[in-house]
Amino acid sequence: MENVQKTTQINEQRPLRDWFDMFWAMVRKEFTIKTRYPIELFAGFAQLFIMIAVFTLATLTFTSGGSDSIGEGGINIYSIVVYGFIPFIFLTETLWGIGVNIRQEQLQGTLESVFLSPASQAASLISRVILTLIWTSLMSLMAIILMVLMTRSIPFFNLPLALYILAMTLLGTFGIGFAFAAITLRIKQTAQTLANVFQFSFMVFCAPFIPFGVLPEWVKLVSRVIPLAYGVDAFRSTLMNYPAGFPELAPINVEIWIVTLFGLLAPPLGLWLYYREEARARRRGSLGIY
Amino acid sequence: MQLQANDIRADLSAAAAEMRLRFSNMTRYPGQLALEIFLPILFAAMPIFLSQTVPGSDVATNFSENAGTTNYVAYLLIGSTAYIMVTRAFWDVAFWLRYEQMVGTLEAIYLTPTNSVVLASGVSFYSAVRSLTAGLIAYLLGCLIFGVNPLQGQIGLALVFLLVGLPAVYGIAFLFGALVIKIKEMTALINMMQWGFAFLMGVYYPLSMLPDFFSFLALVLPATWLVNGVRSAILGVGFFLGAWYYDLAVLTALSIIVPIFSIRVFKRTERNIRRRQGIGQF
Repeated sequence: MENVQKTTQINEQRPLRDWFDMFWAMVRKEFTIKTRYPIELFAGFAQLFIMIAVFTLATLTFTSGGSDSIGEGGINIYSIVVYGFIPFIFLTETLWGIGVNIRQEQLQGTLESVFLSPASQAASLISRVILTLIWTSLMSLMAIILMVLMTRSIPFFNLPLALYILAMTLLGTFGIGFAFAAITLRIKQTAQTLANVFQFSFMVFCAPFIPFGVLPEWVKLVSRVIPLAYGVDAFRSTLMNYPAGFPELAPINVEIWIVTLFGLLAPPLGLWLYYREEARARRRGSLGIY
Repeated sequence: MQLQANDIRADLSAAAAEMRLRFSNMTRYPGQLALEIFLPILFAAMPIFLSQTVPGSDVATNFSENAGTTNYVAYLLIGSTAYIMVTRAFWDVAFWLRYEQMVGTLEAIYLTPTNSVVLASGVSFYSAVRSLTAGLIAYLLGCLIFGVNPLQGQIGLALVFLLVGLPAVYGIAFLFGALVIKIKEMTALINMMQWGFAFLMGVYYPLSMLPDFFSFLALVLPATWLVNGVRSAILGVGFFLGAWYYDLAVLTALSIIVPIFSIRVFKRTERNIRRRQGIGQF
């Protein structure tokens, strides 16, 4: 009895430390699961190379002189592809790693157990992000190396500012991931298709593989209301050292402000949506229903 | 003789029941169905916009030099629609087994007095009907959005290529299903296969854009013959063997050989798994 009281007292005194212990245990759990499926790890990397090859070949089909003709327009299309690819792969991994992962727990029948444990739900969601962060950073690095090997050198300037923009964009992306997890609880099976639709919509409206300048006007109008589009534009323009016409959506200082606000506001908003949806699912008893 | 007829009737009834189950399951997720129609259009929109980044205004002529048609919008729409149909086959058939495994119903299915291949054929039929319907609507809608005439070329021949090629595509998906239940790692593997198919079957470009080794590899895939057959029938980009009947003969042969081979491999994998750790373990 005395021991129980002592433990309770200690727990009350160290809520932050307990949260981190719990969080760390969850990160370890996610990491352990990931390492149990080595082929999945390999497939993730292989997929990355194939995607880059597909888009590079697609571009080449529209050229007369092959890859040599591509840089003639004054901008290096390869740098646009590779620097756009980084936010794209983070968004993809976030949607699948957080949103669809929740769905997987639901399918396996472990979601209710996770929710019944006295652990923080925020920790559960954020622990999935940590793995995505490490894993996707590695993949992004590989993408840059691959692109340099496949093509020619690509411009690489203003690294600290570019990293700041990327960090803020990623924070915002994680916010989207949390919101997507909330949607997953509501729409269930459709989440997988919706993740695909988000990915492809991102490809069109946030122009990760093409300059915004070539988009039709109505698409550009939609792009201008998506903060993630400013992240893509600011990130690649900064790394390319602002060639003529870049950034395309707004002056760079305006884009940095937008990206900063996106990075700061999207995660709490996403978490709020998730808590709301989780409470609704608990009330309706639909957590285990799929 | 009577006994054999009864067996066939029982198998057909089981396959139809599985198909009905899938269809009724599908109606529970109407949003998914609607989104499926827009996916090929979005997928085709990407390279259409990408084409505008290439310096020089005459992208259609450049495209024609490489792909054999100036109508790159229809070319890409056909490619992306076929790609989504192939992807559907993978998710529906390969994922079906893994899905049942994850929700814990696979063992129950194996305890029913029917053959798993019979049930898989029910799933395949459901998937083919679903993806054909969604694919055709997507193609028509895409043509409407991008201002292309959807009723050009030999539509009938294109449909023949599509229908003849589907059993081979589902055969490959079934083969992949055997791999999935063996190694139990699904999502990234199917995603990788999706992009692998996009790369090899020439969703966005002709086979001549691929390095020699990959061109050869692409010709082993039924999906490559299917998509080129449809494109040649509609856009006249050229059949691989010069005439439609040669290409169709190859596709027909693949549609017979691949499913038979896949069923054998699947049965063998299934037997091994049941003998060792059991089918429900993941």
